[in-house]
Amino acid sequence: MQISTSPQTSVQVKPMKSMSPWAIARRKFVKNKLAMISLFYLIIVAVVSFLAPYVTTIDITRINIGEMSLKPSSEHWLGTDKSGRDVFTRLLYGGRVSLLVGISCTFFVVVLGTIVGSIAGYFGGKIDNMMMRFTDFILNFPFLVFVIVLGTIFFGKLNGLAVLIIVISALSWGGVARIVRSKILAEKENEYILAAVSIGCSPIKVIGKHLIPNVLSTIIVQSTLLFASMIVAESGLSYLGFGVPSEIPSWGNMLSFAREPDVLQGKPWIWVPPALIITLTILSINFVGEGLKDAFNPRSRR
Amino acid sequence: MSGKLHKDAPLLEVKNLETAFDIDGTYYNAVDNVSFTVKPRQIVGIVGESGCGKSVMSLSIMKLLPKGIGEIRSGEILFDGIHLEKLSDKEINRVRGKDISMIFQEPMTSLNPLFTIGFQLQEVLFNHQKISKQDAKLKSIALLKSVGISRPEKIIDEYPHQLSGGMRQRVMIAIAIACQPKLLIADEPTTALDVTVQAQILELLKEIQQVNDMSIILITHDLGVVAEMCDEVIVMYAGRIAEKTDVDTLFHNPKHPYTKLLMGAIPKMDEDVEELSSIKGIVPSLKNMPTAGCRFAERCPSVMPECMVSTPKLAENEQGHEVACFLYETSRALEGVK
Repeated sequence: MQISTSPQTSVQVKPMKSMSPWAIARRKFVKNKLAMISLFYLIIVAVVSFLAPYVTTIDITRINIGEMSLKPSSEHWLGTDKSGRDVFTRLLYGGRVSLLVGISCTFFVVVLGTIVGSIAGYFGGKIDNMMMRFTDFILNFPFLVFVIVLGTIFFGKLNGLAVLIIVISALSWGGVARIVRSKILAEKENEYILAAVSIGCSPIKVIGKHLIPNVLSTIIVQSTLLFASMIVAESGLSYLGFGVPSEIPSWGNMLSFAREPDVLQGKPWIWVPPALIITLTILSINFVGEGLKDAFNPRSRR
Repeated sequence: MSGKLHKDAPLLEVKNLETAFDIDGTYYNAVDNVSFTVKPRQIVGIVGESGCGKSVMSLSIMKLLPKGIGEIRSGEILFDGIHLEKLSDKEINRVRGKDISMIFQEPMTSLNPLFTIGFQLQEVLFNHQKISKQDAKLKSIALLKSVGISRPEKIIDEYPHQLSGGMRQRVMIAIAIACQPKLLIADEPTTALDVTVQAQILELLKEIQQVNDMSIILITHDLGVVAEMCDEVIVMYAGRIAEKTDVDTLFHNPKHPYTKLLMGAIPKMDEDVEELSSIKGIVPSLKNMPTAGCRFAERCPSVMPECMVSTPKLAENEQGHEVACFLYETSRALEGVK
């Protein structure tokens, strides 16, 4: 018929396997060096953090008065903090907590935001109005004050870490909801959505099967950037003392030692490692996000 | 399938349909008091310029109007004895794609770019039939073959962006006929395709219509397509039916001035003319629709004073030939009544 490309030539040029848009994006991403290096770094940090108990055997909670504020040495690679705890060990365990908070907050925020945004965008009208006004309402909450207030309300009733995750998630999904809604609004005008409805797909099926996969690239890029800001939020709150309970090490908690002038000025090994690792992690996540954005953009030729 | 139908009982009967759009809080009728029938195995063409309400009417039948903006205000749509306009969203979903399906204008955007052709073909099968994955795959290969796609085993694993416009439209047709619907609504199925492919697609539609025993509503603004394909023709202007008759009569004896002008606008090969003829003016927009009189009056070459005042009635002027124009006595019969 119309297709008359001779099979031999096309076989020689490239394998005949048809590539899904996902496969094309993956290929583009792999070619992006900066993003790949960043991803590699993130994977290493994540793996080492989550394998912390196997990497070091030092007890993180034990306070050792005899080994307070030691400089880096062969025994304590990054020195010890003011309570005599090994900084390197705490860095690993801290990564575990910081990444866990970041990942779970991102997960909840993205899921909630996507559900609200896609329903509002698809149905429009009154439903849209109600849901988006509620979103505005949530977005209007002063974040810091609410985290502190809610944290205090739930304090002791729930695990401190869970409280932090719930509170951050509950206050942060508005942005994602707005972005998803605007994307869905644009996407649902496409004829294939009308075509999907015309073959008898229910609204849930249209949203779940046709709309969300088509805005997924935006959601993924958003969630990487969100992941970075969630880690920052955790660190910031912990630094101020409202985040992760102080008995659990996290990068933010470790950083909070820098509030003391003599640590800040004279004992950099206590606060520089967590600061550095936070910075590098955020930077890498952002590079990965940029890489994904490029990979999903059919117009970019990188 | 159509066992309960009598030979000549209409498959689809649209009675006094009014579809309106909400613009700034006021409803404007995009389809105004339209009635017609489609018999089994019939191809009915609906022609008119852009903005005449052709697409809105087809969307009304499928209840695909944009929610909260477009709405069926009154009238009946009887399909195979069922009042489509009364069905709930859930009930209409069982009809869509199974008993009535639709082909759209833009084959380039009518397929979801993220999924393979096979996936999208099987989706309609899974929606309406209890069928195993294996069977669905076999059936979709057979369907692709039936719409003239070579190497269908390969195509089902390909993505829409790998196919040409003509092939995508074939895929759309395959999806539309997957559940052997009784009625196919084709909304300008060839407008976006180039001329050679157009002819192939029309041929395919005709062939499929005969094989599958279905009726087609063909919406187009191409009178050539109408001449080639249709049994009956409905000429629409600004949301109303101007003329309704069988295809031979329309081409040999057009009665409504609008139809005559449309015919005159067809470029002819054997005439040496400097300028192509056109109809002056444009279809009035929904908001600027004249409130009284014939809606074509402003552009009509044979306009009369009464055309501005009252609405001509669509009435049978000759056997099987309905027209709505004051040039014909029959349209005056019930003057003042819409």
